[in-house]
Amino acid sequence: MQLERTNTGSTILCALCTILIISVIGANVLLNCTTRYNVSAKQVKGWKEALYAAEGGGDIAFSEVRKLVGVLDPSTVLSPDGWTKTGSSYSNGPYTFGQNNSLSANVTVDQLSATLGTPPSSWPYFRIRSQGTATLLGLPRVGMDDRMDSVTKGDSLLRKIDFKYDHFKAKYGDGDGTAGTQAIQTVTKPQITRRIETIAVPQFLTFTAALEATGSFYGPGTGNGGLIDSYDSKHGAYTFVANNPSAPYYGDSRNGNVSVGTSVFQGGGNIYGNVTTNGGTLSLKKGLVYGTIDNSVPFTVAPLANPWSPTASGWDATSPTTITSLTSSANSQATSAQYVYSSLTSGITINPYVDPSTGVAQETYVKIVVNGDVGGTITINNHVNAQIYFTGNLSINTPLVVNSNVDGVAPNVSRAGHLQFYGISPAAGSTQAVSITPGGGSNKQLYATIYAPNANVTVNGPTDIYGALVTHDFYENGNTSFHYDKQIAQLLLAVTDYRIASYIEDVR
Amino acid sequence: MKRSQINNTKGFTLGETMVAMGIASFMLLAIITASIALQKSFNAVDNFFATQIQQIRIIEYLNRDVKRSYAVTSTGSPQKVTCTIPNYIIQCGDPDANATCTGTPPMPPSGCTPPGCNIGTRRNPTVKLSANGVSVDYALDAGGSPITTAVDYSINNQSILRTENGRLTTIASSTDNLLPSWLDVDVSNTEYLSTSITFLPIFISGGATAERSGTTLFSTAYLRNLRRGN
Repeated sequence: MQLERTNTGSTILCALCTILIISVIGANVLLNCTTRYNVSAKQVKGWKEALYAAEGGGDIAFSEVRKLVGVLDPSTVLSPDGWTKTGSSYSNGPYTFGQNNSLSANVTVDQLSATLGTPPSSWPYFRIRSQGTATLLGLPRVGMDDRMDSVTKGDSLLRKIDFKYDHFKAKYGDGDGTAGTQAIQTVTKPQITRRIETIAVPQFLTFTAALEATGSFYGPGTGNGGLIDSYDSKHGAYTFVANNPSAPYYGDSRNGNVSVGTSVFQGGGNIYGNVTTNGGTLSLKKGLVYGTIDNSVPFTVAPLANPWSPTASGWDATSPTTITSLTSSANSQATSAQYVYSSLTSGITINPYVDPSTGVAQETYVKIVVNGDVGGTITINNHVNAQIYFTGNLSINTPLVVNSNVDGVAPNVSRAGHLQFYGISPAAGSTQAVSITPGGGSNKQLYATIYAPNANVTVNGPTDIYGALVTHDFYENGNTSFHYDKQIAQLLLAVTDYRIASYIEDVR
Repeated sequence: MKRSQINNTKGFTLGETMVAMGIASFMLLAIITASIALQKSFNAVDNFFATQIQQIRIIEYLNRDVKRSYAVTSTGSPQKVTCTIPNYIIQCGDPDANATCTGTPPMPPSGCTPPGCNIGTRRNPTVKLSANGVSVDYALDAGGSPITTAVDYSINNQSILRTENGRLTTIASSTDNLLPSWLDVDVSNTEYLSTSITFLPIFISGGATAERSGTTLFSTAYLRNLRRGN
């Protein structure tokens, strides 16, 4: 018998073992690489993109909210833009974008209200909730990189990825604990969702000084009574105490501050307050400045947009000469009755809403937009708060402008604060004209505020102006005096815009 | 039967065997050396990427918290960042945690007694007028001051720790001396936190360790929820 031996078996075995070892090494490397690749290229990317999507949705909503300045019913703006209304909430989306529409955003805008200001008034603000979702392309079975130690998780605490189910929907439902909203909801592809909440609050026009002129300033008048001082209407009507330190309200009398945005300042009578200019040198013809002087204070004043537009709803365009049929809903500035005129030179009288059951007049708010000039008789009866916007010029003959409100009577203690004129900024390069004259009547007093950043204001004496003023150029002549009511700084005069006051990410 | 005689003349001489063994040993040594080097290299690369991912994680944790912070403070020694965050979610022990239920509550955290039915839900904002305009808060105490949560980032040996309401989370842990550096910058109308994080790679090149500076990861996050003086 011949015995033959071969060694081919061990060769195959060795080859198989080698292949096995190499395969194990290869698989290990591949596993590591795939995990790392998924983390760095997919999960980190998706995490960031989900936030971009959420913030994109929030920006879309905020741009819609900014259209709501002066709008009483947001649905008149939002519904035509494709928003769905549910109660006081508006929703839109999904907005899709990104590579293969892998990103999406769903947005909800809730209209809420807050009581703000003195006198208190209910103002709308908006809560914007945006949910951004990024689809994780690639293998869904590849998990997360949690390798740190035996107990500590790494990425899964930060980036909550929905591989099969929407974890937020399953645990938190709608996020507010509403019954029946929690549900096991599958996702078609792995995804990351991030949720942000921003709060858009109104920006208000306010007066911060007695007189603000962005251009030149000539005042007060050089007549014997020419002066600028201040008072606080919560203590009642104005009396001159700026030269009497023992007077109880002497401390309120020296806030007649003047801010000039250029170097052109020509002083007339006494100024009982601080004066600032932008590079000017004070030239005082007659009086003194009883306050600090700073000649290096530049400032700007926000232009004013027209709160009315041809497509806006909720405006009465019948141009009544007497406004009497107001309702109880016009009881705050945010819900004021709105009228639009092509011009207002033939006179207007505004009466307050009177409760038919008690016969008592309530504080009533009226907003008027004049797409032209304003002049003639303007009668604002007691309890009426009128805001008059104008695109043209404003001519005030003091005997014809009657403000029957009384200083010191709550809720709006400022008589001047009851009549507010707003010069809507014209096209760049253009200016408006505001003239205040004493006329021939006995009433030389004007109780009003004027915010007209693009208007040149001329005041002829003898006149006494009570209130606050924002202008471009300011010129006073003769026996003219100006008394700033400190209470006007407390008034929220008008909403000019909305701004984001809060940013929160829901990290659940 | 004649027994066959097999004459095998294919054997190796001693010299041939020695040479073959020498060559085989040399090849085996080369293979082992290469394997070790390969293993070290793989470890170093794996470690590099793993630490890099931890760098990213630290940055993302910080950015998320800084963006929603009212205020951020940082100290250099010991290295620490504190983010002051509004209490957006009602948590166990909050004064309003036991408000009347309006629906099925989310699962309350274990150990919360009594289990407030609104725990885990969002708060409604509180809007008020302050000296600096309209401000927004989510939770106020009896005096009207905002109730906030402090989130601390600190270093403990080789770990980066995040502490929120006393709950500690190790968000990064490395034997490679992962070292963050924070700079909180408060400018006139905004504030931001600049962060740079480095680590020491375990590569060895020419007998010298690799440079730490080559691993720096920079990031800047702005406080979108900054409180301006109120």
